[in-house]
Amino acid sequence: MRRPRMLSRTAFRPWRDGAFRLLGTALAIAAFALSSVLLLRAELNERFDQRTAEVLGGQLVLDGSRAPEPAQRELMDAVRTVPAVEFRTVLVRDEQTLLVSARAVAPPYPLFGRLTLAPERFGTEYTADHGPPPGEAWLAGQALDRLGVQVGDTITVGQKELKLSAVLKREPDGGAGFYSMSPRLLMHHDDLPATGVIAEGTRLDHETLIAGPPERITQVRSQLQDSLRPDQELEGVDDAAEETLSPLRQLTLWISLSVLLVALLCGAAIYLASGERVQRHARHAALMRCFGASRRQVLDDLLGREFVAVLPASLIGSGLGVLLVWAIRRQMEWQGAWSAGPAVWALALLAPLVLWASFALPRLLRLLRTPAGEVLRAGGDHTRPALELGAALAGPVALAALLTQSWQDLGLVLGILVVLGTVLPALFWPGLRWLDRRSARWPLTLRLALRRLSRRPLLTLPLLAALTLAIATLTLAGQTGTRLIDDWQGQLPDKAANYFLFNLLDEDKPVLRDWLDKHKGEPSPLYPIVRGRLTRIEGTPIREAVTKDKQDSEEALNRDLALTTAEQVPESNRILEGEWWDADAGPGQVSVEADIARSLDIDPGDSVTFVTSRDEVTGTVTSIREVDWASFEPNFYFMFSPGSLAAQDATWLTSFWLPEGSGRRLSELLQQMPHATLLDVDALLERAEQIARQASGAAFLLAFVLMGSALLVLGAALLAGQNQRGLDNALLRILGARHALVRRVQLLEFVLLGAGAALAATALVLAALWPLGQRLFDGALPISAWQLLPLAAIALITVLGGLLSRRSLAQPPLALLKAG
Amino acid sequence: MPGPEGDLTLLDDVSLDVHAGESAAILGPSGSGKSTLLGLLAGLDRPTTGHVRLQDQNLNELDEDELAALRGRWCGFVFQSFHLVHDLTALENVMLPLELKGDPAARETATQWLGRVGLHQRRSHFPNQLSGGEQQRVALARAFAVEPALLFADEPTGSLDHANGRHVSELLFELNRDEGTALVLVSHDEELAGRCDRRWRLEEGRLHA
Repeated sequence: MRRPRMLSRTAFRPWRDGAFRLLGTALAIAAFALSSVLLLRAELNERFDQRTAEVLGGQLVLDGSRAPEPAQRELMDAVRTVPAVEFRTVLVRDEQTLLVSARAVAPPYPLFGRLTLAPERFGTEYTADHGPPPGEAWLAGQALDRLGVQVGDTITVGQKELKLSAVLKREPDGGAGFYSMSPRLLMHHDDLPATGVIAEGTRLDHETLIAGPPERITQVRSQLQDSLRPDQELEGVDDAAEETLSPLRQLTLWISLSVLLVALLCGAAIYLASGERVQRHARHAALMRCFGASRRQVLDDLLGREFVAVLPASLIGSGLGVLLVWAIRRQMEWQGAWSAGPAVWALALLAPLVLWASFALPRLLRLLRTPAGEVLRAGGDHTRPALELGAALAGPVALAALLTQSWQDLGLVLGILVVLGTVLPALFWPGLRWLDRRSARWPLTLRLALRRLSRRPLLTLPLLAALTLAIATLTLAGQTGTRLIDDWQGQLPDKAANYFLFNLLDEDKPVLRDWLDKHKGEPSPLYPIVRGRLTRIEGTPIREAVTKDKQDSEEALNRDLALTTAEQVPESNRILEGEWWDADAGPGQVSVEADIARSLDIDPGDSVTFVTSRDEVTGTVTSIREVDWASFEPNFYFMFSPGSLAAQDATWLTSFWLPEGSGRRLSELLQQMPHATLLDVDALLERAEQIARQASGAAFLLAFVLMGSALLVLGAALLAGQNQRGLDNALLRILGARHALVRRVQLLEFVLLGAGAALAATALVLAALWPLGQRLFDGALPISAWQLLPLAAIALITVLGGLLSRRSLAQPPLALLKAG
Repeated sequence: MPGPEGDLTLLDDVSLDVHAGESAAILGPSGSGKSTLLGLLAGLDRPTTGHVRLQDQNLNELDEDELAALRGRWCGFVFQSFHLVHDLTALENVMLPLELKGDPAARETATQWLGRVGLHQRRSHFPNQLSGGEQQRVALARAFAVEPALLFADEPTGSLDHANGRHVSELLFELNRDEGTALVLVSHDEELAGRCDRRWRLEEGRLHA
């Protein structure tokens, strides 16, 4: 029993050693980064799937113009289903009529998420996890305004009277179609037959919302796919997610890449620090072998102590990671059990130890293979760096595979890491060599400082690369995160439109004008809107002019588009080809949005024909436009010259800015124009900003951790060279250098290191900002105070380097004599 | 110095003087205090009692920076482990003490000295590209380049094989003779010490002629 006691007694002795403390700190940071990302990713994946399912209404949705076949219903026996029928109907109240989008649902609707309701038009909101009971209905607030009803009144849907029992504010699966803005009525599925709307020829949309364990869903999907009627289609979470997967995938890749960089940098610090540990262990191990210990005993002793000593660091780091994810869950109000399964938890706890093992173990094991006599005789380095580094990198590659979970993403991440790891140092090398050659005539202190960097490329270049990357990442994350949103908002006019209003009639225009005057709103131009479907290009029918794949994939060919006329080019548009029409231009000219023109191969001079509710409209393309869709102004694919749509049935669209105030003003407006639809842009913008701020906060935190890791590598590199640095400083003192000179040389070394990294980081950031500036600000670079961060980094590196290396300044010259 | 059982006396009643042009050897077994004595003589350490005068300056009266300046002006050093700066070439190593003195012709002087020790063609090489004997010759050039009044050599051939050791010791004494420096040689090598004008043996903290 002696060994365990000895182990426990000596287990924490390694912490007295500076090299071990650095190793332990690196491991703790790596553990924090790895565990927080692994756990957070599990939460995000589940929430994303859940959110997608919420928006979809289920993990799988079977959609058709008729109810599912009995055989199809049988296939769905093993999963939860909700039948939902959607239809358009007109509600009548006194002399008011209103077209609504009605939906009849049955329990257990909603399968995901909750409905947001209010007890009255402007009452306090609350949520519900069920639909309206039989005999009742929930109606959107706009509909209440237009019909002049309130909660408690009775409304008639078809032939069925329903009591209005709540105001419907939001449905989790309500959809966000800009042009499907009929107010929503929600009712119980059992009330549907009594309405009488289900009749031959009635246009109904039958949905079956499906939820269940993933493997069951996959099975049901596969079986239903084979049984689909021509009018039916299946949509799953993956299909819906495809449209929005790209940003999330990019975010996930960025997170994986950042964490891997942190892991690699911490691994580098562990590698360097463990080199010091090996030197210290070398003699001890050799002596044990001289005294008769077997290799196994030496291994147990050395590794046992190291492992027991690093374990607390790893656990503390992992614990902090768990704490961070707990705080995020709390802030985001994520309910329920943690999404990570046992495998993810095990990985979060073990991954840091894998990292330690891959970077530290090969060096320790190498020590055991060196004959004791050789160690005691030579007293020098007993490692084979190339071999050990190769073995060390196996750990991060395995971690990368676990973090990315797809060969494609793994290849991408490893590719980026290889490029960063080789290209950056390779870019620095010529510059360093050039400086080295040029410095022959520099002042002594500057030259000596530079030599300490330029003559040790294997240490300097990776360190420069790590610091550059960390500084650049921190700067970019800090700047582009919320800054772009702030700058973008700043670029919008002070009174940019915060509401859109469409489906206006001619007689609504003076009403709107008066109302805006009364409430100090700022109007924007009115656009006539004619719904039309593109049927011919250059006289050729679409089905002949465009490939089948394009017909299926190009959304603009499969729905009615909003056609409009305008006298001038809208501010958010820019002519790329051709010319806009003159003020006295006649009808029949059309300007086409650039992306759709490219997609459908439309050029200036071509003719395009639309079919509308009245007849056909044809125009000759005179210009191609680039549209700033992010400008939050009305934007159109096709804009005609004035008079082109005069003979068509048109409604009007406009936007306006309204100062902050009561929502009742808007109700008052809608009561005067009950057929109009109002869109609150502020809410959309606020949501986008919220998501952007959260994402940027996460990116900034990761970048911060990355910077900390890079500084750890600096510390490890300093530690590794501490003895030599001390002897060099002592030699300078012996040869006649004053203390101030030696101190200057040392500080200048870090100033040069920091300046080199800062310069390179600034170049990297500007290079990254330029395309962003081109894309978002028409060439204007969003330069900001964040560009000063690299300067602050110089100061930080100098101070930290100075602090960490002050021991080497204190090395007495006599030590050199004693060292021989 | 303090020890586990009370103060430890390393050097007891040691007194010696070395004049310009003289060579003096301090012999003694390992652990006898030779390097400690060398450190005191070079102003790298201070005696508990007594004083050291170098070029008529009492080293006890000087602070650390003044001692460093004094060393830079008057002393040269040759170490057993050569102690060249690994980041500097052979030429830059020889230039170093000259530049610390503020010598404007440091490069030219260093080049000449490297030629004198037969390493002109290796002037751009780094210490790890030189053999042990070559490194020690660079160290000799560095030590003599400042035209020191006093040269301290601590086991100058201790890390060299017999042939290289002979070559280096020949060069050391030749340069010492030519430059008229006072050489203080610390060694356990009787043969090397035998070439010096005067010899002392350090035993149990005391110097014996």
